[in-house]
Amino acid sequence: MAKLSFREALNQAMDEEMARDERVFLMGEEVGHYDGAYKVSQGLLAKYGERRVVDTPITELSFAGVGIGASMVGLRPIIEMMTFNFCILALDQIWNNAAKMRLMSGGQYNVPIVFRGPNGAAHMLSAQHSQATENWFCNVPGLKVVSPATPGDGKGLLKAAIRDDDPVIFLESEIMYNDVGEVPDAEDHVLALGKAHVVREGKDVTLIGYSHGLKAVVAAAEALAKDGIDAEVIDLRTLRPLDMETIARSVRKTHRVVTVEEGWPFGGIGAELAYRIQHALFEYLDAPVTRVTQLDMPMPYAENLEAACLPNARDVIAAARAVSYRT
Amino acid sequence: MKTLNLVQAVNDALAVALEAHDDVVLLGEDIGRFGGVFRATAGLRERFGEERVIDTPLSEAGIIGTAVGMALYGLKPVPEIQFSDFIYPGFDHIVNELAKYRYRSGGQFPCPVTIRTPVGGGIRGGHYHSQSPEAYFIHTPGLVVVCPSTPRDAKGLLLASIRSPDPVLFLEPKPIYRKAVGEVPEGDFEVPLGQARVVREGGDVTLIAWGAMVSLCEEAAARIAPSGVECTIIDPRTLWPLDIDTIADAVSATGRCIIVHEAPRTCGFGAELAALVQERCFLHLEAPIRRVTGWDTPFPYTLEHAYLPSVERVLDAVEATIAF
Repeated sequence: MAKLSFREALNQAMDEEMARDERVFLMGEEVGHYDGAYKVSQGLLAKYGERRVVDTPITELSFAGVGIGASMVGLRPIIEMMTFNFCILALDQIWNNAAKMRLMSGGQYNVPIVFRGPNGAAHMLSAQHSQATENWFCNVPGLKVVSPATPGDGKGLLKAAIRDDDPVIFLESEIMYNDVGEVPDAEDHVLALGKAHVVREGKDVTLIGYSHGLKAVVAAAEALAKDGIDAEVIDLRTLRPLDMETIARSVRKTHRVVTVEEGWPFGGIGAELAYRIQHALFEYLDAPVTRVTQLDMPMPYAENLEAACLPNARDVIAAARAVSYRT
Repeated sequence: MKTLNLVQAVNDALAVALEAHDDVVLLGEDIGRFGGVFRATAGLRERFGEERVIDTPLSEAGIIGTAVGMALYGLKPVPEIQFSDFIYPGFDHIVNELAKYRYRSGGQFPCPVTIRTPVGGGIRGGHYHSQSPEAYFIHTPGLVVVCPSTPRDAKGLLLASIRSPDPVLFLEPKPIYRKAVGEVPEGDFEVPLGQARVVREGGDVTLIAWGAMVSLCEEAAARIAPSGVECTIIDPRTLWPLDIDTIADAVSATGRCIIVHEAPRTCGFGAELAALVQERCFLHLEAPIRRVTGWDTPFPYTLEHAYLPSVERVLDAVEATIAF
């Protein structure tokens, strides 16, 4: 096991996949000569040259479309969005072309493409640069949506996303690029998409989180343990498709669920989880599935207001106590 | 009262708004000379002139961006996006400008834009003319989202939307543009935003549906009533802000709930409704909440009858929830 930062782990994943498969190439704003706005593509231009690490103009709609075209004729593009806030400009290409092409062409064309980059709030970037965009993708048939919480998962899931034959939205966290964690050395460290991970076993309440939000969940679980509530923590890893098997196994044991996300509440990932859990596990539930989310408003700029807007461990603890009827 | 279909009611509301308010402006593709591809704006250019009923190029981002600018300068623009499937090139303007202007400017610039756009399938339009994109807009704070199911509501809600100080996505169910016919008050009248309509009352199960799915649920309720199962039907009418009290009261009374929508299943508006209902009605629920929705595939061309919820699928869900 090597200790790597999130940024290094993602870099290694791209490097290994580009070495393994010459069809894989990287394209986006400043991914080449500048080594990436967040240095995730550091050294790749020097190693693979300008044909495989392509700097683009500032036009997300265009290079998303070029990538989709390239994937339809046999290449396997990784498209870096400098942030997913800017990916909003490319949604027509992703929703209407990438997601639909396999079905629309009767299976003649598949679109093996990865759109990756930072997502969500990243400290005082205000309303237009702090958006958690996952739910705009999770309602779209034809897309897979992945959001890792650790450097090791980041590497294993990105490699799986690059090898996947269909479009994958790969959501990173800007404030986690410097996080350090253990990353398996094996070149075939590939984690299956669509599989959740039980981070902590417990019997009293199931806490479900992902990406940066998982930190609040883990901190809450530790605090709850001191209070006699033994929480099980599940990291979704993949948001679409959801791993309902792992979730069901946990809920049959705990009978209580709290979902945690850094996106907006109305129609978020927690809503889908709540539907599926009550539908599949109605007779097991001892309390309503309870959601912890960002407040339902544009992200404020001020540091204190941003903190008040985002979910934290305190909110998760309060929700876990509420579903345990221990308020 | 006069008898109108849904698209005539939209046209009537636009005429009333243009007559009553000098600052109301319509813009969109083919809405002027041609009168709109669904005839929603027929006759309005002739009556109000080309400065108030503006034909635009094929540029949805341009249409919505222009409307945002017009609103900031004091007009009340009502852009039409010809099919909601074409709205995505304008998505950045909608979620980053329209939805956030009031907040970002500390209340200095409200953005009173009402985007009208036809939604839904059943017209053999294929992937790019059949989508129901409400999930993206209900998820975004700052947007009001409306979807009428009757001519009366279409007129009253559209007038309320145009007069709202905040941006509204006004989703018009195109499969019932001509099929939905009913009495509509003449002249100026509003249906308030944020209030659900109880379409039918019954003690056994609550059906929640909007747009074209309301009449489908009415048919299902009528078909099952002779066997002794009585359905309440709630049409939220405004998807955000949601009248959750009316919904929660109904589900608490019946103990059973089915949500019907055309959009794909996963992370659709049905998920949010279910999450809220189980939060509010947990101890009243006799059975799991069910969804009858479009499938998790792109909208099919030849199989749209299999993709869209049908009376039979709603009845299957009613029987399953009663039998639970």
